[in-house]
Amino acid sequence: MWQRRAFLKAAGAGFAASLVPRRAEALERAELVFASSIQKQAGGYAAALVSEAGTLIASVDLPERGHDLTFSPVTGQAVAFARQPGTFAVVFDPAGAMAPQTITSLEGRHFFGHGAFSPDGRLLYATENDFENARGVIGIYDVAGGFRRIGEFDTFGTGPHEMLLMPDGETFVIANGGIETHPDYGRAELNLETMDPSVAFIDRRTGDLIGQLRLADGLHKLSIRHMAFDAQSRVWFGCQFRGDPGDRPQLVGYATREGEIRLIELPEGTLGDLRNYVGSVAASADGAIIGVSSPEGNTILALDAATGGVIEALSMRNGCGIAGDAAGLLASSGDGELGGLAGSGVARLSVPVLFDNHLRRVG
Amino acid sequence: MRVWLALLIGLLATPAFAQLHPTARTVITQAVEEVIRPGFAGFAAETERLAARQAELCAGPSADALAVVRGQFGAVVQAWSGIEVYRFGPLMTDNRTERILFWPDRKGIALRQVQAILATEDETATDPATLYGKSVAVQGLGALEFVLFGTGAEALGTEQGAFRCRYGSAIAALLSSTAAEMSSEWADPAGISARLIRPSQSDPDYRDNAEVLQELVGVMAHGLEMIRDQRILPFLGRGGAEPKPRSALFWRSNQTMPSILANFTALRALLVNSDIWEYAPTEQFWIGEQAMAEFDSVAIYGSGVTGTVEEAMADPAQVDQVANIVISSQVIDKLVGEDLPAALGLSVGFSSLDGD
Repeated sequence: MWQRRAFLKAAGAGFAASLVPRRAEALERAELVFASSIQKQAGGYAAALVSEAGTLIASVDLPERGHDLTFSPVTGQAVAFARQPGTFAVVFDPAGAMAPQTITSLEGRHFFGHGAFSPDGRLLYATENDFENARGVIGIYDVAGGFRRIGEFDTFGTGPHEMLLMPDGETFVIANGGIETHPDYGRAELNLETMDPSVAFIDRRTGDLIGQLRLADGLHKLSIRHMAFDAQSRVWFGCQFRGDPGDRPQLVGYATREGEIRLIELPEGTLGDLRNYVGSVAASADGAIIGVSSPEGNTILALDAATGGVIEALSMRNGCGIAGDAAGLLASSGDGELGGLAGSGVARLSVPVLFDNHLRRVG
Repeated sequence: MRVWLALLIGLLATPAFAQLHPTARTVITQAVEEVIRPGFAGFAAETERLAARQAELCAGPSADALAVVRGQFGAVVQAWSGIEVYRFGPLMTDNRTERILFWPDRKGIALRQVQAILATEDETATDPATLYGKSVAVQGLGALEFVLFGTGAEALGTEQGAFRCRYGSAIAALLSSTAAEMSSEWADPAGISARLIRPSQSDPDYRDNAEVLQELVGVMAHGLEMIRDQRILPFLGRGGAEPKPRSALFWRSNQTMPSILANFTALRALLVNSDIWEYAPTEQFWIGEQAMAEFDSVAIYGSGVTGTVEEAMADPAQVDQVANIVISSQVIDKLVGEDLPAALGLSVGFSSLDGD
């Protein structure tokens, strides 16, 4: 966590000086800083830093709509990935000490909007689409080499979406959403009849497949897309259902590196509020609470990771981003709202930006 | 006297307001009753005619009878282009969207499977009941287009085309029965119409008017994206790439541009005939007015595209007209996908309508 003082120190005098007094004052009060891709009110896209008090601290323009961000555990450098089928990722220093740098995807590849750094901060990984072959890959970038792309691994599936590095620092977990897209047809989904979603565990150093988990046979239209770890290193995931909209399959579950995968049973009404669509999954700082969101259903759920029970349901129009804060979860919305739940002390407030699907705690 | 005065004040307080601003219920009712329901009824009627003409062709093959069926295929595509944007309710059950039109088909799956049926004279493809159990790619408009217009289609005018004709008949019959089912579902006063017109807290999808209006605005926003990404750009080419006329939908039947223009016409009809744009505050009427003007521009650009897609893409002037349609679609997208929902107090749909 970046405490206020730590943030000001990291930000450096130049950055603090660039803040208008009102914002600097807001920063005085702020404890936590969050990052998200946004759409600006005046139009245009950016990656933004926002305090939990709702103060817009800084923003870095993006050429088009962004998606998730990831941070170097060593330097704190941030990377905002383009939303699929975008071809850029923008590296920036949240402290504002260096100029942003744009990474362009390799020809024949585009980004899916998610990625992760290696524990030593030397490599950046991103989920990408080898679209001519409908094959998911993890692009590997050398940070010291100016984010030069030095190779790729297979994700062992089509349409990978979120990827995370497990707490062991050695294993990637990939949500292979299973949906084929090709930039010739924009975001059109080309294989709904034959989609084959999976959770894949991959050796970070060799790219070898450690294990791959699929849901039961009747659930092949349940696209596994977003994930977070609980305190036991179980991988909680949220799905989006592409089958008959009249069906309401369970959407939330967890998988383990040991090979277990299961969906939890959400109560019918709660499940209905998710509208067959989970937009993000996040965990509280202690890993005891799992947040899942549905912007379609205007609902943020806080689940007890130990029991799968619903701790709290927050109604938030267009709410999608979730991140752990000091005590619970903070949620953000496409309408510009922030709101805490499950023990968070953050009151409901409005920020003059439109938050994209993912919210990340900085530091 | 006091009563009269109160009435007079009441009248003065709402000058023409009620007429200018429809209620949400009125907007939704008009969308259902004046736009969507007639659209689905039209598709049912055109596919029923198609099935009848196709059966006549098989009973008495001739070049004239083939021409009649081909003409009717165009009418069916027009009707379909008017309703395919309603991707909720009846179109979304039982894979109907894919059964009626398997597209995009980047790998040409449909062509391979249809050609295999024709080559092996697979009799199970000539009975609608067994055809229904086959791949969705061989039972819809794309398959029928190849039967009627693809390589070897001329045989349909003679006895040599008997198998091909019966396969075409089975497709037309399936289309007709699916279209009839959807039309009756939309016509059912207790069905999807009631759910939209009278949303309730117990409904899984439509808890209130705002969620229904969101659905209707979503139809326009998603429809525009579909036209651009799946229908125009694949053959126009992205970012200055060479046009690929054979990547166009319905190029064999020369229905590419007519179907695209019918898509736009359908979206304009939803905007205008539902009065949804007038549900916005008066000072926001410009949104609907500009969108209508832009839709009119699309029609003008479209009239400048003549002949087949192949011919059009070989003519720089016509390529420009198609490119102009893409730009107009982006303008309309901004108007109805961002400005209108904001004016209606709906979620701008930044996260939810086109999430990831």
